[in-house]
Amino acid sequence: MSKSISAKSKNSRTWEYFLYPLPLVLFVVAWYLLTDNNPSRQFIFSSPQQVLSAFVRLSSSGELYRNAGVTIFEAVMGFLMGTTVGALLGLSLWYSRLVARIAQPYITAIATVPIFALAPIVIVWFGIGIFSKIMLAFLSTVAVAIVQSYQGAMSVEPRYLRLMQVVGATRWQTFRIVVMPSSWIWVVNAMKLNIGLALLGAFIGEFISAEEGLGYMIVKASGLYDMATVFVGIFALIVIALGLTAVVEQIERRILKWRV
Amino acid sequence: MSTASEHDKNVLKTVLKISGLMFSYATTGNDVNSWALHDLSLTVTEGEIVCILGASGCGKSTLLNVIAGLLPPGAGTIEFSNQSDAAGRIGYIFQNDALFPWRTVGENLLLASEITRTIPKADAGEKIKQHLQTFHLQEKVLRQYPSQLSGGMRQRVSIVQALMFNPELFLLDEPFSALDFYTKLKLEGEFVALVKEQRKAAVLVTHDIEEAVAMADRVLIMSKDGALIAEFQIQPEEGARSPDAARGTAKFAQYYQSIWAELKMVIGQ
Repeated sequence: MSKSISAKSKNSRTWEYFLYPLPLVLFVVAWYLLTDNNPSRQFIFSSPQQVLSAFVRLSSSGELYRNAGVTIFEAVMGFLMGTTVGALLGLSLWYSRLVARIAQPYITAIATVPIFALAPIVIVWFGIGIFSKIMLAFLSTVAVAIVQSYQGAMSVEPRYLRLMQVVGATRWQTFRIVVMPSSWIWVVNAMKLNIGLALLGAFIGEFISAEEGLGYMIVKASGLYDMATVFVGIFALIVIALGLTAVVEQIERRILKWRV
Repeated sequence: MSTASEHDKNVLKTVLKISGLMFSYATTGNDVNSWALHDLSLTVTEGEIVCILGASGCGKSTLLNVIAGLLPPGAGTIEFSNQSDAAGRIGYIFQNDALFPWRTVGENLLLASEITRTIPKADAGEKIKQHLQTFHLQEKVLRQYPSQLSGGMRQRVSIVQALMFNPELFLLDEPFSALDFYTKLKLEGEFVALVKEQRKAAVLVTHDIEEAVAMADRVLIMSKDGALIAEFQIQPEEGARSPDAARGTAKFAQYYQSIWAELKMVIGQ
């Protein structure tokens, strides 16, 4: 009985692996059929063949990997800074409800100001180099991390806090032993949300003013109506986002291994 | 028999002494009608289990929370072995265990040595092994997470966790209500044996009259306005001290009927 259930679940997993690439294959086939032997459509939409040849060209020249490396570095640095600072701030707000209430409108302000509006100021302050993009990725991610981790700290099961009070734990012990670990789920959720936001922050910075990075590559190519290169840049961003998400999922599995 | 019991009380240490306790959830005013606990006095000695029965919402759990220091008393005094400080003297067992799900059972049981810093980890390990044996738990549970254990095992681990703090007084808030009948009987027996052998004291809150009669030395009835209005001394038949054995005796049925009659009046049936 259990053998047949396990065989069934293995079968359904095999089907799942087969179904994963199906939407992508359908998209590429439809794209190919719509643009094949149609230069005017290819000018606007490019075509799978043109994108493939652009990919080969950009890969062999190293341009794609250099720009992708810059964007990854900016996004990851901003992500790490934003998530770490945000999580520490959010969790520490547990210590004082008064400070949390005072901080609330400021957090909302940071969270709601579009990063596009902040980008010109940040670039003026920090220059057109990598640091301004890291700052934009940081600003894109910090508010989410604060809000999520504060929510986590305030959602601790009351019976855990009661237990710590009864056994005479200090506030620091309660924070270290209960509040921090029980908020990890929320921090991991912030990490998942922040991957996209960090990439967006770095990309916007590169889009506005930069000399390298995928954003810069896409802006330059679109100015030249080189849609194939634009698509290569977009696909590269998607691959980076998926890769970073996989890393966060690995971290989640390690940190939250108790959720069996 | 009653003379012997009174004599015992004179020589046994008083673990908990509550006098004229009042508590109100209202933050202002002094209206007697708003008291959740009303002029409540209670003494519990070592080796004694006192059970409190009453209608839902009458203040049974509130009483435990006030004793534990989770809620401040409005008036009256609470003493623990003639001291006013409850820290480190109480083991609180909740209806749903308070084991941290992100820690293994072993890590949960080391909480006492982390908080108090008075028990070296090696000694804590030895103590844990002893307590696990008492509660018929295998050492392999130490590596498991609470979510991998049954409800009964989790409650056993909770009791061991509380024991690691070496409390004088246990507060139990319907600790066995979520367990199946067989597990409940076993745990009741193990807990009663623990209190008697280690001369601890316990205040148990429950809705279950059978559980109260089977486990307690005294059963107290709490009125809807948070006052203790009746007391039943439970004297089990010779050779029927365990909660399981007590359930089969004639005396058990008599106690059950008397307490149920009193409770019906309190509830208003």
